[in-house]
Amino acid sequence: MKNRLKVLRAERDWSQQDLAERLEVSRQSVNAIETGKYDPSLPLAFRIADLFEMRIEEIFQRD
Amino acid sequence: MAEDAAAASAKRKVTFWIFAFVGGMFGTAFFLKTTAIVPQPWSMAVLIAPMLLLIPLVRAAEAMQRQTGCASAAAVRYNRRILFASFLYVIGLGGALMLFRDSQVSKPVAALLSLMPTLPVFGIIWAMGRYIIEESDEYLRARTVNAALVATGLLLAIATFWGFLTTFGVAPDVPMWAAVPVWCFGLGIGQFVGKVRGT
Repeated sequence: MKNRLKVLRAERDWSQQDLAERLEVSRQSVNAIETGKYDPSLPLAFRIADLFEMRIEEIFQRD
Repeated sequence: MAEDAAAASAKRKVTFWIFAFVGGMFGTAFFLKTTAIVPQPWSMAVLIAPMLLLIPLVRAAEAMQRQTGCASAAAVRYNRRILFASFLYVIGLGGALMLFRDSQVSKPVAALLSLMPTLPVFGIIWAMGRYIIEESDEYLRARTVNAALVATGLLLAIATFWGFLTTFGVAPDVPMWAAVPVWCFGLGIGQFVGKVRGT
């Protein structure tokens, strides 16, 4: 799954650690999701969408 | 960049304490075996000294986890539980060997003695299970579960192959308590593979 997490994070000038703290996950989780090595669960995907005030499909897209 | 340097420094400290711990354990065991200054049942008690090196090792590992962004309350609890169970294991094993060798014990007593090193190992297994239940970070949890699957597969494969080697008289029997160290070895391999793949 592709995602726009890195771009969205950069637009807000957040580091991976900043985003991790806002999502209450580890920095490694953010890194793994950003690089497409790990697909988040639906609850975490909703948390990410809520944080960026976007819909899930605006952040995550099919390969 | 500063974060990377701090993480590298934390990793170096962990490496140092790993070498100190392993060197301390093997060094002490080698010294005890070659000099025979301390009678064998009591030599287990001497091994508690290098085991104390586990404390700075766990602390350094926790500092590294904080630096690399994978620290969690569940991981800290796991580390503490494993440390505590490991100390109990050394004490339990040493105590059981001492009591077993110093006197002729009946079978029921010997069975009870066997529980002394066994129960702390149950504690280690319980701590591993609790970590997977308590870890709230789904990525860290998934990574540990993947590593545990690798460990389980490896243990089953080795046990099957070794079993047939003994059936056909090629290899000697191995005590079944070796299952846990083999599984932990597999867990280490699983974690390493996960790290290399970045999953």
